[in-house]
Amino acid sequence: MNTSKLIKQIYAYLGFHSLQKNAETDKLIAQCLDELKGIAHFRYTYKYFQTPPEFLTHSPYKEYLKGCSGVFLSVMTLGAEADAKIKFYSRTDAAKALVFDACASAYLEYLSDEYEKGLGDNLSYRFCPGYGGSDVCDLKFIFGLVKPEKIGVTLNSSNYMLPSKSMAGIIAVGVGAEKSCKSCVISAHCEYLKRGEKCYGSEKR
Amino acid sequence: MLRFGETVTVLDGGMGSELEKLGFTGTPEDLNVTRPDVIQAIHRSYSCADCVMTNTFGLNPIKYKGKYTIKELAEKAVENARAAGKKVLFDIGPTGAMLQPLGTLTFDEAYAAFAEVVEITKDIVDGYVAETFSDLYEIKACILAIKEHSDKPVFATMTFDSTGRTLTGSTPEIVANTLEGLGVDALGVNCSAGPKELESVVMRLLACSSVPIMVKPNRGLPVLKNGKTEYVLDIEEFDYYIKKFIDCGVAIVGGCCGTTPEFIKRISRYRGRKVKRRRIARATIINSATKAVNIDGVKICGERLNPTGKKKLKQALLDGNYDYLIDEAVAQAEAGADILDLNVGLPQLDEKAVMAEACRRIQEYVDLPLQIDSSDKNAVEAGARYYSGIPLINSVNGDDAVMDAIFPIAKKYGAVVLGLTMDGNGVPKTAKERFLIAKRIVERAEEYGIPRSKIMIDTLVVTASAEQKLVKETVDALRLVQRLGVKTALGVSNVSFGLPNRGLLNKTFLTMAMACGLNMPIMNPLDGEMVGAVKAFAVLSGEDINAEKYIDIFKDYTGAFSALRTAEPEHIAASSLYDCIKKGIKNQAAQLCENELETKDAMTVVNDILIAALQEVGRLYDSGKLFLPQLVASAEAAKCAFEAVTAKLPKGAAKREKIMLATVKGDVHDIGKNIVKVVLQSYGYEVIDLGKDVAVQAVAQAYLKHKPHYIGLSALMTTTVKSMEETIRVLRQTGCDRPIFAGGAVLNGEIAKRIGADYYTKDALALVKALENLK
Repeated sequence: MNTSKLIKQIYAYLGFHSLQKNAETDKLIAQCLDELKGIAHFRYTYKYFQTPPEFLTHSPYKEYLKGCSGVFLSVMTLGAEADAKIKFYSRTDAAKALVFDACASAYLEYLSDEYEKGLGDNLSYRFCPGYGGSDVCDLKFIFGLVKPEKIGVTLNSSNYMLPSKSMAGIIAVGVGAEKSCKSCVISAHCEYLKRGEKCYGSEKR
Repeated sequence: MLRFGETVTVLDGGMGSELEKLGFTGTPEDLNVTRPDVIQAIHRSYSCADCVMTNTFGLNPIKYKGKYTIKELAEKAVENARAAGKKVLFDIGPTGAMLQPLGTLTFDEAYAAFAEVVEITKDIVDGYVAETFSDLYEIKACILAIKEHSDKPVFATMTFDSTGRTLTGSTPEIVANTLEGLGVDALGVNCSAGPKELESVVMRLLACSSVPIMVKPNRGLPVLKNGKTEYVLDIEEFDYYIKKFIDCGVAIVGGCCGTTPEFIKRISRYRGRKVKRRRIARATIINSATKAVNIDGVKICGERLNPTGKKKLKQALLDGNYDYLIDEAVAQAEAGADILDLNVGLPQLDEKAVMAEACRRIQEYVDLPLQIDSSDKNAVEAGARYYSGIPLINSVNGDDAVMDAIFPIAKKYGAVVLGLTMDGNGVPKTAKERFLIAKRIVERAEEYGIPRSKIMIDTLVVTASAEQKLVKETVDALRLVQRLGVKTALGVSNVSFGLPNRGLLNKTFLTMAMACGLNMPIMNPLDGEMVGAVKAFAVLSGEDINAEKYIDIFKDYTGAFSALRTAEPEHIAASSLYDCIKKGIKNQAAQLCENELETKDAMTVVNDILIAALQEVGRLYDSGKLFLPQLVASAEAAKCAFEAVTAKLPKGAAKREKIMLATVKGDVHDIGKNIVKVVLQSYGYEVIDLGKDVAVQAVAQAYLKHKPHYIGLSALMTTTVKSMEETIRVLRQTGCDRPIFAGGAVLNGEIAKRIGADYYTKDALALVKALENLK
C-alpha cells in the first residue's frame, strides 16, 4: 500500500494543504487508518458498456467520453461500518471523528484506484456525477444500470449515496482523459485553486 | 400446509438471469402482465423443483415504480408461477432504500410496504421467501409484516460478502439468532457468491441454528468476458457443494443468479432425502445488528440509562433530550459495558413512544445490545419491535399476570427474558424459596415455547444495612438457580444503600456473587473499580485466557485506574488551563478548570482563560497556522471546562443563549453540523441538536417547543438546498422571527439570501463571530 499517497490525501481533506504536518495528527491518522482497515469492507461493482448509455450522450459526459471504445459504470463503498464508527466518534471525540471521516474518504478513493487498475489498461480517471457541471442527480441512471444494492449501496430521494462512504464513477476505455479543473463547476470559487492547488491530490499545479 | 426440515426441499433457480438471457431488460415484474407466456415458461422449466418462487423480487410500493398496480402484478405473478404445477412461494426482496439509522426510510414505512404485498397474496400462495436482504433491521420489518398478515411459512435469507458478514455488518451467528428468534420456518443465505465462497457462512449457520437452513447460491462469481459479465461455474462443481451442504444438514437448496433449469434438475435428485439431524448447544445470546453477546462468564450490563434517582436523566427524558441519553450510552460503551439497560419509565411520559424513540436513537450510535426495562407491557413491546436484533427484556416475576403479559411478546420477538425471584408476596427470604419462583418462571416460559436458554434469573439483591442476613441468601440462590440451566443477573449496587464507602461494599459483593455464578452484574460501568473487579475475576476464573484482555487494559497501570480510556497521547500534558484548551487536551480540562476555580471566580475563568484561549485558537485557525482537527480538539476541551464552570454556578445563574441546529430533510451528512455544535458549546451556547434528515415540520415544532434565540441549518448538496428553503419558509410561517443561519458546502451568501436565511457563515468560527456581533 502506498501509504504516503494516502496520507497526503488525508491531510488535504483535513485542510492542511501545504502546511506542516504535526505529530499529534500523524498519530491520530495512523490510529484511524488502523481501525478503518479492521472494520471497512470495501466492495466494488460495475457494468461495462460498449456503447455509452443514453444519459452519457449529453454534455459534459460526451466530451469526456469522446473517442472511447467502451465505458465502465462503477459503484464502490467502504460499507456501513465506517459510517457507524464516525457516528460513534462524533459523540466521544469530535476531532477524531473528523480525522476518521477524512481517512475513510481517502481510503475509499485509494482502494477504488487500486481496484480499477485490474479493469484494464488505457482507462480514464473516474468521472463522478457532480463533476464538471454534470448533475449529481445523474447518479440515478448509474444506480438503475449497475444495481449497487447488491453491494449494499442505495440512493435516497436527495441523491445521497448510503452508506456515505460510497462513490459512483464513469470510466472511459481507450481514451486517456485526465483530471482537469477547467470544466469544474466550482472552479470560480474553489479554495484549492485559490491556493494554486488541486482537490485531487494536494500537489502544486 | 408445507412441511420443511424433515426431508430435503429443492427450490428453483435464477429468474432475472434467465430473463436477461432471453434479451429482456427493464423492470422484470412488469413481464408478469406484459409477457406471462415467458414468465410461465421459465417457471415450468423449474418444475423439477418442489417449489417455485414468483417473479416479484422488486415488487413493493417503495421499489416498484412501473405503471401497474402492486395488486395487479402480485396476483398475476402468482398465477404465472402456478403454471409450474408446484407449490408457490411468494418472493419478497428488499425495498432498495436504506433504513434508519443508516438511511432515511423508517422501520414503519418498510413494514407497511411489505405488509401491503402480503395482504394481497396471503390467500393465494403457499409461503413466503424474504430473500437477498442485506440489513437485519429491514428483514425484521419484512418478517413481522408477513407473520402479522399471514399464517403461511416464512423463509428468510440474507446475502453475505466474502468476509462472512452481511453488507451492513451482521455475522451468520447474529442473523441466525435474530431470524430464529423471530420464528421463521427456515433461514439462510442466497445470492452473494457461488457455493464455494459461501461454504464458511453455511457451516456457521448450521452450527448455531436449530431451524432448517436454506442455501440458494449464485452460479459462482461472475467474470468479465468480452465486455459482459458471465457466470461460468459448471454444474458438476455446483452440485458438489450442494451435496456437501446437504450432507452437513442443509434442508432447503436452490439456485440464484446465473443458475439455470439444468442446475436445478441436477440437484433435484436430492429431493426427499432425509435431512441430517444437528445437535445445537443452546446458548443465551442477545444481539444488536452487529454485536452478539453470549451470556457466558461475566458480562457487564450498564445501569445508567434508568431515571430512578438520576435527576439529569429524568429531566432529559421529560425534555425529549435524546442527546443526553446517547451520551450516557456512548460513555458506558466506551467504559466497557457489554449490554445497556434502557428504562424510560416516568409517570409524565408516554412510555411506549419514548421507549421506541430511545431504542432507535441509541442504536444509531452504540452497537451494544439493549436490555428493555419496563413494567409497562406496551413499552416492552415497542422496545422489542423497534430494536434491531434480539433484546433482553427486564423483566417478569413469579406472578402469572406479569408472565402472561410479557412472555407472548418475548416469544414473538425472540427476546431473552430476565425473571425476578419475587411474586405478589414480595421477595422471599430464603434461597430455596427464590429458587422455587425461578423454577415456576422457567416452566411457565416453556409453556409459551420459550426455552431455558432464553431465560435469565435475578435472585434480587437486598440492602445489607436493612437485611444483612439475607445478603447471603441472594448469593446462595444464585448457585441454586443455575441448576435450572439458566444464566443469572443481579443489580449489585443495591447492596450498599445506607452504608458508608459504598464502592467497597459493592465491589466486595460483586466478587462474592461472581464466585457463586453471577453472569450479568447490572452496574455502573463508569466505576473503574467495579469494572476492574470483573476483569480481574475473568483472569482468576480462567475465562480470560492467558490474561490477554486484562493485560491489554492494565499494561500501563500506574496506580490510578479509570474505566474511561484516555483519548490523548500520554506524553502531552498541559501546564495550565489556557495551555490545555490551546492544545486541545480534553481529559485534563475539567480538573485544570476546577483548580482555577479554587482561586478565581467563575466569570474570570470563562472570560480570561476559556474565551481568551479559544480566541487565540481561532486566530491561529484563521491565519492558517492551526487546522480543523486541532480547532475541534480545543473546542472539546473548552466544552469540558465550561461544564465544570457551570457546575459551580448557582442554578439558573448560567443562563445561556440557545441555538437550534439541524441538518435538513433528505440530507444525511452531518459532520459539519457536529463540528459547529462542539464549537458553539465551547463558547458556552446551549445547543439543541435536532440531528440530520430532520423533517420540515419537525424543525418548526422544535422551534415552538424550545424557542431558541438562533437557528442554524446545514445542507451538503444542491439537492437538499431546496429542503433548506422549505424549512425556512415553514419556520417563518410558524412565526419564527429569530435569526436563521445557513451553512454547508454548496451554500454561499447569495444562495443563503435567496432561500430566505438571514446569514450565511462559512464555518463554525464564522458563526461564533456572527453571533457575537449580533449581541
